[in-house]
Amino acid sequence: MKRDVVIGIEIHCELKTESKMFSGSKNTINDTPNIHVNEIDLGHPGVLPTLNQKAVELALRACMLTHCKIDTLLKFDRKNYYYSDLPKGFQITQQFHPVGKDGYLDIVVEGKTKHVRLDRIHMEEDTAKQYHIDEHTYIDYNRAGVPLIEIVSKPDMSSALEAKEYVSTLRNLLIFADVTDGKMEEGSMRCDINISLKEAGSTVFGTKVEIKNLNSLNNIDKAIEAEIKRQNDLLDQGEVVLMQTRRYDETLKTTVAMRSKESAVDYRYFPEPNIRPILLQPSFIETVSNSLPWTPTKWFEYLIDLGANEIEANILINNKTLLDFGSIVLKEVKDTRLGLNWIISELTSYMNSLGEKLFETLNAYDFALFLNLISDKVISGKQAKDVLKWMIESGKDAQTLVEEHGLKVVSDDSSLLNWIDEAIKENPQSVIDFKQGKDRAVGFIVGQVMKKSKGQADPAQCNALVRQRFLEQ
Amino acid sequence: MDKNTSILKLKSIQADTNACVTIIENDVKTHEGLLSDMPIALKDNVITKGILTTGGSKLLSNYIPPYSATIVHKIKQAGGIIVAKTSLDELGMGGTGTASFNGIVRNPHDLKRQAGGSSSGSAVVVAAKAVDYAIGSDTGDSVRKPASFVGVVGTKPTYGRISRYGIIPYASSLDHVGYFTSNVSQAARLCDVLSGHDPLDQTSLPYAPTKTLETLSDDVKGKVFGIFEDVIKAISDEETLKNFERLCSALIERGAILKSISMNEDLLRACLPTYYIIANCEATANHSNLTGVNFGLTQSGENVEDIMTQTRTVGFGTLIRKRFIIGSYGLKDENQEKLFRQAQKVRRVVVEEFTKMLNQCDGLLAPATSSCAPLLEGANTNVLSNTHLIAENYMILSNFSGAPSITVPSLPVNGLPHGVNITCKIEDEATMFNMALAIESCVKELL
Amino acid sequence: MDKKTILSLAAELNFSLSEEEVSNIHTEFDSLINLLGLLEKIDTTNVDPMVYPFEMPLTQMREDKVDHEITQSEALMNANVQKEGYVLVPKVVK
Repeated sequence: MKRDVVIGIEIHCELKTESKMFSGSKNTINDTPNIHVNEIDLGHPGVLPTLNQKAVELALRACMLTHCKIDTLLKFDRKNYYYSDLPKGFQITQQFHPVGKDGYLDIVVEGKTKHVRLDRIHMEEDTAKQYHIDEHTYIDYNRAGVPLIEIVSKPDMSSALEAKEYVSTLRNLLIFADVTDGKMEEGSMRCDINISLKEAGSTVFGTKVEIKNLNSLNNIDKAIEAEIKRQNDLLDQGEVVLMQTRRYDETLKTTVAMRSKESAVDYRYFPEPNIRPILLQPSFIETVSNSLPWTPTKWFEYLIDLGANEIEANILINNKTLLDFGSIVLKEVKDTRLGLNWIISELTSYMNSLGEKLFETLNAYDFALFLNLISDKVISGKQAKDVLKWMIESGKDAQTLVEEHGLKVVSDDSSLLNWIDEAIKENPQSVIDFKQGKDRAVGFIVGQVMKKSKGQADPAQCNALVRQRFLEQ
Repeated sequence: MDKNTSILKLKSIQADTNACVTIIENDVKTHEGLLSDMPIALKDNVITKGILTTGGSKLLSNYIPPYSATIVHKIKQAGGIIVAKTSLDELGMGGTGTASFNGIVRNPHDLKRQAGGSSSGSAVVVAAKAVDYAIGSDTGDSVRKPASFVGVVGTKPTYGRISRYGIIPYASSLDHVGYFTSNVSQAARLCDVLSGHDPLDQTSLPYAPTKTLETLSDDVKGKVFGIFEDVIKAISDEETLKNFERLCSALIERGAILKSISMNEDLLRACLPTYYIIANCEATANHSNLTGVNFGLTQSGENVEDIMTQTRTVGFGTLIRKRFIIGSYGLKDENQEKLFRQAQKVRRVVVEEFTKMLNQCDGLLAPATSSCAPLLEGANTNVLSNTHLIAENYMILSNFSGAPSITVPSLPVNGLPHGVNITCKIEDEATMFNMALAIESCVKELL
Repeated sequence: MDKKTILSLAAELNFSLSEEEVSNIHTEFDSLINLLGLLEKIDTTNVDPMVYPFEMPLTQMREDKVDHEITQSEALMNANVQKEGYVLVPKVVK
């Protein structure tokens, strides 16, 4: 029997703020455990929450980019449950009044535009991170209280491909808006997929299964394909699909049951009495709207205008860190084409080996000055590769390195002619060879000059001068 | 009063009254200010960094906080010296002083009687003249009722006037920081020390500290005292009523205007159940952090759930667990609308009525309690009587509305302390202290 | 509220009750019903729940800066078991 696939997606996104959602400790997860915490994150007695303005701004950005209706009166609620990663025993969330409602996202799948409706976007706080090792669970509260938004789609997608494209498009949009770093593998963006099958064309939905915590675009694809197959097989055999929460097992390449959802948990949601409603002023919303960073589409157009081809533009758009770096470089550099070439070829290969560490030593302004040394012919293309390597290793700027290594290209005639004359004097045969039509004599003398100049002579300039000298003899 | 006298006195009353959880001997003055050299006691739900803070609960009987409440910083900056953490009904839930993990608190005027609660110990240490200032907290009437029973001034300023950051909560939307003092002038002084916006408490009022002490006066000429008729009607104790009449006459002699004001009886009778539901529902969620995972008297268990269950079973008293059951029941999906939400709606109706009453006068006056402190044993209440529902519990109206409210000692009943309560308009502590000071001087004359 | 409900509420709240405690709650709940009757009696048609004493919305939020952290040892000092900077509990069964 032919069946339609119905997919809805919930995405949790950690927001790129300095501090946490409701407290002034640092928002960072990769650090020594339990050092970026305070009594609020730890859920100690007597603490109270205070709402982070930046988190609200970032949530608003997400709403604006996805065309959600914004609720200008912010309200928060408690979701009550006991779990070791939830120190207060409740999570502060927006159950009754999400900041954004009824939005949409247009995605392009196999050349066709697909309209995916969004149900809601709401703000909440993350839980502590737990590591399960041997007989114990290790709790790190650095993540407790990290600001999150949850983006809930309507069940508008009907294939793994659409689901993957939805997540990927949304992710890029949010990364570009500096809402999140979108690192799925590190958990700063996590997807839960709701999936059910129904008879083709029917309006009756099948039983919904939730696949939790998918941590890469690839796994979204694989998990959905596997789950569609599993549900199809069950239904083909006349069995029923149970309402369940499942996870994707990468080794087994299938989804496995985590828990049954038959008895719904009663979270006893009620309004958070410690956060009075906050009214977002029109001026505040306008400021957020005016400060929205460029979207990927806007960047694409800009790069094409600068002279990048589509492949280059796409490489940069899919690597936001490199794009941020490159966009400064392209503003500063004299030769944009040269800039694009170096960014696309050299920097991507360095990023492959060093990752973002590359930008700890390499600064965009230095890199632009370095490129200008090439276009001003201060250094040659060959020397430039070495210089870049040293820049990355040492963190020094190109000018300093060129001087330290005595690399400057010598292209003034008098210095070059000194070496040329000396070389011709030492090799009189070369003049004869040249006159007999042996053009390699030029190359020979240029080679000698390169030796004498320790590689600093400008080869093209030198070549011309040698030719001129031979003709004069 | 100096620190050493205070500590000696605290120790000498401890065996009889059980007023303190911890007596602190090593605190010193670090700043100069309105409270320079003044010994101060804190209810043991005020978080003190590095000093045991139990909240009156066995579950926190080993809890050494890593931070201090905002008011602790304010007290230190004003020159105060902290000398004790005082006993309270577990987690502030209780009105009798009999529900603390460390035993019953007794009334220093008659050890067979209650001191009232939940800020029992703080009331007692001021009554026993061991300190002039003691911090409490007031969710229903937890400062103003014990103040009446032990014969001291009990103040609860406007909701948000004093930061709640670092006060172990009971019910967040009803919780107020309050305090006990020996007289009204000290009450105004402490208000000026403790008040002011706190960036850590988003519900705190956005103003600078009050300056009520500077303008304090006992002149009530032309001031309108609203007499809360429903409360008077619900009191049967003749001495209480006679004393109240004498006080009223004395106020009239000073040029005050008395005006009888009342409220719909059904609404008044609904206040206690409204309070009961809101307070227990909020409390149930507020104390979900007490699981023994990262602090508290953790019990052993085979898994985390087991640890939590053991910790909460051993750590909470019977009364607390009962209240959590009620709270959790009221929040349950199928009950929330008819219990918790209905209570929140009734709260609005009541507050609107109460605000109208306050708008007809400068302050609303009534006996704080129907009589003197009850005996610890043998007290028998009819929970549906107006004496219980109205006369004994009407002060929760100022927790519902957030209005400032103060209990001032009046003429004794049965030879034991008894107070009257005055409640004023929101943010009008100045008038409240003015009227309270007038009552204080009237009572001095009448005694 | 029957005894079964009381026990299931206790389980959800992560604590146990003795038989005597259950009986007491059961008995007290009967008188509580009378009290709650007083609450039900009030007409609240078209009345919104009052969540906060003061409902005027705020316009200020906390500025996003790191200004409030405690040390790792302060964070862990009340934990029953800690190891290598973590709070340690028996393995959480997922």
